[in-house]
Amino acid sequence: MRTTIKKDFSVEEPIEKVWDYLANPTKIVTCVPGASITEEIDDRNFKGEVSMKFGPVKAKYSGEITIQELDVEAKNMVMKGRGLDSKGKGSADMIMNGNLKPTEKGTDVSFSMEVSIIGMLAQFGSRLINDVSDQLLNQFVTNFKAKLAGSDEVDNSINAGAMVGTIVKNKIGGLFGGKKEKEQEEQKPKEETSK
Amino acid sequence: MGHSIKRKEDARFIQGKGNYVDDIKLPGMLHMDIVRSPYAYAKIKSINAEEALKIPGVIAVVTGKDLEKYNLHWMPTLMSDTQMVLPTDTVMYQAQEVAAVIATDRYAARDGKEAVMVDYEPMKPVIDPFKALDEDAPVLRTDKEGKTDNHIWNWSVGDKDATDKLFNSADVTVKEQMHIPRIHVASIETCGCVADYNKVENHLTMYMTTQAPHAIRTVIALVAGHVGLTEEKVRVISPDIGGGFGGKVPVYPGYVIAIAVSFLVGKPVKWIEDRSENLQADSFARDYHITAEMAATKEGKIQGIRFKLLADHGYTDAAANPSKFPTGLFSICTGSYDYGTAYLEADAVYTNKPPGGVAYRCSFRVTEAVHAIERITDRLALEIGKDPAQLRFENFIKKEDFPWKSPTGWEYDSGDYHAGLEKAMNAIEYDALRKEQEEKRARGEMMGIGISTFTEIVGAGPSKDFDILGIKMFDSAEIRVHPTGKAIARFGTKSQGQGHETTYAQIIAEELGIPAEHIQIEEGDTDTAPYGLGTYASRSTPTAGAAAAVAARKLRDKARKIAAYLLEVSEEDLEWEPGKFFVKGAPEKTKTIQEIVFAAYTNHPQGMEAGFEATHYYDPPNLTFPSGAYICVVDIDKETCEIKVRRFVAIDDCGNIINPMIVQGQVHGGLTQGIAPAMYEELIYDEDGNILNGTLMDYLVPTAVESPSWETGHTITPSPHHPIGAKGVGESPTVGAPPAIANAIVDALSPYGITHMDIPITPYKVWKVLKEKGVVE
Repeated sequence: MRTTIKKDFSVEEPIEKVWDYLANPTKIVTCVPGASITEEIDDRNFKGEVSMKFGPVKAKYSGEITIQELDVEAKNMVMKGRGLDSKGKGSADMIMNGNLKPTEKGTDVSFSMEVSIIGMLAQFGSRLINDVSDQLLNQFVTNFKAKLAGSDEVDNSINAGAMVGTIVKNKIGGLFGGKKEKEQEEQKPKEETSK
Repeated sequence: MGHSIKRKEDARFIQGKGNYVDDIKLPGMLHMDIVRSPYAYAKIKSINAEEALKIPGVIAVVTGKDLEKYNLHWMPTLMSDTQMVLPTDTVMYQAQEVAAVIATDRYAARDGKEAVMVDYEPMKPVIDPFKALDEDAPVLRTDKEGKTDNHIWNWSVGDKDATDKLFNSADVTVKEQMHIPRIHVASIETCGCVADYNKVENHLTMYMTTQAPHAIRTVIALVAGHVGLTEEKVRVISPDIGGGFGGKVPVYPGYVIAIAVSFLVGKPVKWIEDRSENLQADSFARDYHITAEMAATKEGKIQGIRFKLLADHGYTDAAANPSKFPTGLFSICTGSYDYGTAYLEADAVYTNKPPGGVAYRCSFRVTEAVHAIERITDRLALEIGKDPAQLRFENFIKKEDFPWKSPTGWEYDSGDYHAGLEKAMNAIEYDALRKEQEEKRARGEMMGIGISTFTEIVGAGPSKDFDILGIKMFDSAEIRVHPTGKAIARFGTKSQGQGHETTYAQIIAEELGIPAEHIQIEEGDTDTAPYGLGTYASRSTPTAGAAAAVAARKLRDKARKIAAYLLEVSEEDLEWEPGKFFVKGAPEKTKTIQEIVFAAYTNHPQGMEAGFEATHYYDPPNLTFPSGAYICVVDIDKETCEIKVRRFVAIDDCGNIINPMIVQGQVHGGLTQGIAPAMYEELIYDEDGNILNGTLMDYLVPTAVESPSWETGHTITPSPHHPIGAKGVGESPTVGAPPAIANAIVDALSPYGITHMDIPITPYKVWKVLKEKGVVE
């Protein structure tokens, strides 16, 4: 089960400062909800953990995070994460791409995240994966902005209950609020199964 | 016969007194739960049971390596393919059994399952059956020596050259690519068993949800004979079954693991699947990709068909077809129409999906065949601009042309297709509907009328062509009449809700004159019932029902001899009317069947064997060919694309009817299981092999809410070769309904240039196709 989502936003900070955060794995990873770095192998490879909880299904993925690309000229960062569920219930892959463009006021930031999940979580979460990923990236962006603004403490805990609540609110809001501005590119499952 | 007597079995079912496998509780019984793979394709690096074994109540965790020591880690499928019981190194589909947890209660077993740690090394799975045949596709069945691709078998029937020639020269040819989706029987009771091995006696009693207890006993003996479980040491008991529909024909790994564990520990072991396991791991049905073509004259005379199939069997060919027919009875795809040229070619492939290919409420792939022929017939009608009913009338095999030889080698026994369609059209007021449709179309409204005039092929089958694992597909009945004139009859078949306890009793009552209420029917215990291949493919009435009639006639012959002896006349002087013999010309001189039976035990003629029992193994001379004419009317909302089945008329011809109420019940249930794949059901896998609707929350089984009010009726064309002229009906509605619904929906959408839609046809699919055509925004 795969999905790709995108977020674009602008910050009023000089590009070099933003890049400093983007290019620093320890700063970037702590912005990812539920993620933590457990071991630094070298400056590009890390061991880490990501926890997820979805209704009855809990998953704790442990695996490796690799900075695949760190292009100072193009201000482009590609980070790849691959984790196996610690109980053997499945695996998750993530590729995150961050790109910066200077503007007159500051910097345009563009994030995309491609998530692929195999196993129990995929079975139960197929209808919600887009929304969950969207929510994760939103929280990530909030954290990223907070870090940039100088805050040391960000909330990168994962709270499934609150998350499901937010998703339901957004979904219902979307239903009644006319056309919702959709930033994400959804890759729908093969066929819509619900009536 | 012909009476709607109430079902004898319902007395216990409606009072909650049925006895299902999960009701069986034996002293010292252990419980089993199964660890399943999250991956569609992965190497198993290690299985760590340490944490699981710490849980109070958990006594063992069994892996493939454990079973390997006894050579019980693999088993044959009914198609003579092979299947893992538990893997030793590789998992081949999501939800595959990986290890079994044995515990003193169900809850500890489930906790233990959660605690087993399996370390996998995932591999890229093969999910798309077409890509499975690519040259660079990884070879999945490396366990098979010399296997260099994912191809399983190729099968063909018909005259290829003549068919190709016809298609090159015909006035009109039409072609559609269809997919009959992977679905699941989703019976209300999941699968399960209690394996009870007695070490002292070296005897296994296996209580299990099986539609074919005797065949299972033979399979167990084949798999476990080498450890001492030879066939006389095995007793299979199939208690009440909550729906089978073909899904309870195969042997699932869980059964074998339970047997192995009971064998090793000497205690009974219960295994009951949960709902998701049932849906995700047990044999699926259908999953045929079909290229269907039809050739005709420009006037609309059908001249031939050409079908090409690709069957996705998943990890192993675990279908349940007769050995000679790897694609089942798909060759009935010539339909109800009169032409002499046909060619059908089928290939099957392995993919990283659960194994199967069971005949879900259909006689071995007849559903797929009927869908293809009925859809492509409608496609032809659309192409040449002829009303689909008219096109069918002009092409039907005429009733005087039976027995009719099909270009794929079958001999249709009897039928009257014109009468069936006429009756259906009158019932639904076809002409008025077409007029209404014309008016609605002018207003831009979407209404469709769909017809399906199918021919089934059931009652497998004649021993010259039909066997499973070499065992011929006869079936059996044994009747014992007690001295007081009451009877017990036992059968090789096994009811899963079909009402055998009533209908078999009615057949015997008709032949012997003993009231049906005094005839006890027993099935499902291999120690007492005569050998038979079980209940599926609408075969019970055509085979075991016939066996009952013939066995009863044997007894009637004996009764005549006894009556002649008692009345001191010759046998020729006697006349039979149900329940008694009387002397011709002297009707006051009679002996009732009860008096005759009593004499068989108390005063039988010298030289005659005492007692009143008969057994018959019935080997049908031919299959039976039930048919039906179904018409469906749908309305589609242009705003929401919601599809509403407004009316559905089903006229079935199943030959002589034993119990009209039971037939009607069968038809209602079958129609509901027909609307299911047409509009709702499909097992969906993503490119990684994740099942995306593995629970009943997402896999939509229609309920009473979705079911229209079915309008049923029948025509009767008896089978000329069946002892009571019956043909079998259980599956006709499941087979006939989907194309009627699909044809109606396509008919509604045809003004917008739509010629075909794959089932299940959902509002989303309708919206998508209408958007593509620019009809909706």
